[in-house]
Amino acid sequence: MKHFTRLAAAAVVGAVMGTAAVAQELYAPNLSYRTGPFAATGIPLMNGQRDYMLMLNARDGGIGGVPVNFEECETGYSTEKGVECYEKTKGRAIVTQPWSTGITLQVLPKTNVDEIPILAPGYGFSPMADGKVFQWAFNTPASYWDAASMIVQYLEAEGSLEGKKIAFLHLDHPYGKEPLPLLEKLSADKGFEMVPIPVGLKEMQNQSAQWLQIRRERPDYVVMWGWGAMNAGAITEAVKTKFPMENFIGVWWAGHDADLKIVGADGAGYKSISWSYPVLDAPVLADIKQHVVDAGDSMSNPEEMEGVFYNRGLVISMILAEGIKAAQEHTGNAEITAADLRWGLENLNITEERLAELGMTGMVPPFQTTCANHTGHSGGWMLEWDGEKFVKVSDLLMADAEVIQPLEAEKAAEYAEANAPWAVSETCDAES
Amino acid sequence: MLNDIFIKPFVDMVEAPDFLLQVLWEGLVSGILYALIALGFVLIFRSSRIFNFAQGIMVVFAALTLVGLHEMGVPAWISVGLTLAVMFVLAVTIERVVLRPLVGQPDIILFMATIGITLFLIGFGEIIFGGENKVMITEELGIPTDSVVLEPWGGLLILEQKDITAVVVAALLVGALLLFLNKTRMGRAIRALGDDHQAALSVGISLQTIWVLVWFIAGIIALVTGIAWGARAGVSFALEVIAYKALPVLMLGGLESITGAIIGGLMIGILEKVFEIYWGQPLLGGNTETWFAFVLALIVLLFRPQGLFGEKIIERV
Repeated sequence: MKHFTRLAAAAVVGAVMGTAAVAQELYAPNLSYRTGPFAATGIPLMNGQRDYMLMLNARDGGIGGVPVNFEECETGYSTEKGVECYEKTKGRAIVTQPWSTGITLQVLPKTNVDEIPILAPGYGFSPMADGKVFQWAFNTPASYWDAASMIVQYLEAEGSLEGKKIAFLHLDHPYGKEPLPLLEKLSADKGFEMVPIPVGLKEMQNQSAQWLQIRRERPDYVVMWGWGAMNAGAITEAVKTKFPMENFIGVWWAGHDADLKIVGADGAGYKSISWSYPVLDAPVLADIKQHVVDAGDSMSNPEEMEGVFYNRGLVISMILAEGIKAAQEHTGNAEITAADLRWGLENLNITEERLAELGMTGMVPPFQTTCANHTGHSGGWMLEWDGEKFVKVSDLLMADAEVIQPLEAEKAAEYAEANAPWAVSETCDAES
Repeated sequence: MLNDIFIKPFVDMVEAPDFLLQVLWEGLVSGILYALIALGFVLIFRSSRIFNFAQGIMVVFAALTLVGLHEMGVPAWISVGLTLAVMFVLAVTIERVVLRPLVGQPDIILFMATIGITLFLIGFGEIIFGGENKVMITEELGIPTDSVVLEPWGGLLILEQKDITAVVVAALLVGALLLFLNKTRMGRAIRALGDDHQAALSVGISLQTIWVLVWFIAGIIALVTGIAWGARAGVSFALEVIAYKALPVLMLGGLESITGAIIGGLMIGILEKVFEIYWGQPLLGGNTETWFAFVLALIVLLFRPQGLFGEKIIERV
């Protein structure tokens, strides 16, 4: 009996010490995809995210003195595996980073019950911007509807869209269909014809049928919601069919340097809207080189580190880190909970001054979130492929809030009704 | 509605014959490439009764090896030679490590083993080459990349020279394969094994040698397919999904028929493109290529369960 008591006591001490050891970290898992058909676009993003967190751990000892455990759970961009990863990590996680609109839509109802914030920077369900309805979801700093609005504005600046035809080439997947409600509304408001052209997963690298349709329809512009191998497939077909590249614009996930390098100079003129931009002399990159690359801890390479996607990965981790920091300052605790992080993400204030302090001036436009506004609507820049790299060709573009916000509220309410009972914050009190 | 289904598509074809030619050409190119992938399946199935699930990943692996070697500084054509050597080593390894221990096991076990090979090659390939999209060394291999622009009936027809090369190379490869299978001793041995395992073994045909040979030939086909597809939109693991397009080709042409694979591939390539352009996009919102080939194959199977060119199996009880 005495022996048993000692064993039990040892077990209790061990458990307490074990708990303490586990608690000495901020567990922020990333549902990554470094494998599968979309790996080519996933890898640089994941590398950027990872390097930023490793840099914080090495340079500052983490955030607020607590190291970040930035564990990756591989999904291969599969929705089923993504949900498994969510279930596997939710016990300890302070955040879910689902990395696919399909996975986001699947875990969205679960996070409301599990009370874990979803952080989906620049992707996911656009009405997640409505923080009263989607209390636990954040698509900071810009949504797909923002992207569609900015692209249409950019085209409109070249001349009225009345009577014009825009082909909407998109992946036949929840991600690709996401901007359709806004584009349909803009089409009706501005008088242009929108021709949706879906691309199946098996057709990503063989889009001759889609580009034959584009040839037949003779659109004035092609707007692309592509991802993974679809981007390279579309751009090579555009070059092949001699579509004027200056009239071809992609969303921010269709602006990957490696996809354009396949066609090189032939792709010059192709554009992509983006809420991030690589600033190669930014101090943050020097810190990453010193603390991560030179230490041999980075999985990236010099060429990738100059690209749009790697640098966007840095910005994504910066958003999470700033949310954690805000939560730490608000609660006074270095070890925060998922609920604390929700407060942090609802109170982001990324000003020019803060970006300068972070060594990231010019890498993302300033933005601010609130309890009711989970996106921040940072706006973005139009980037253009010059044959070798993406360059900025516009001032900061801002999405048309007057069109988007009523649609966000309408679709958010529809979602809440369809998923009733759905907890909605009437007061938008983040503490509630 | 009836007009849109039965009249308008044909009127469109007549009114824009250059566009119809372009559709047929794109279908032909896709069909040739489907046929190449299907050939890899057929060869292995004929000689070993194994449905090789790994054929798709072999395409990716061969293309990645070629590009990877060139990135390491190896000249293009030496890279081709070394890639063929790698595919030979792969064939020997698969025969020794996977197939030989499973001789005599039910077909489903061998099929499952090829799924294992697939998973291994995905993981191994990602460790060695990474998952990034890579540029096929088209120009380094001497494949022309310009376009031939024709103006039939005052219209426009664009033929990519690399597509023309793919069609010519594929045709030569198929011709060489048919010659090899019909005119050489080894080729006849492969066919004999396909006809009757026991009888072939009884006359001294080596199962091990033939298996290595067919897996190596499947590797060569995979390399040619990988170069052709990779030249179109880069080399990445996304190429693997194209292999699934070969499944309806096999259902249509029959699992054992080389002629079936070729004709089935061409039929599906051309018909799915024509259907998509003239019926799918105007009437069904597009993206019918995802399912059209399977529906076509199912309809054929309703009337000919062995496929168009497969052998009818008669079992006496």
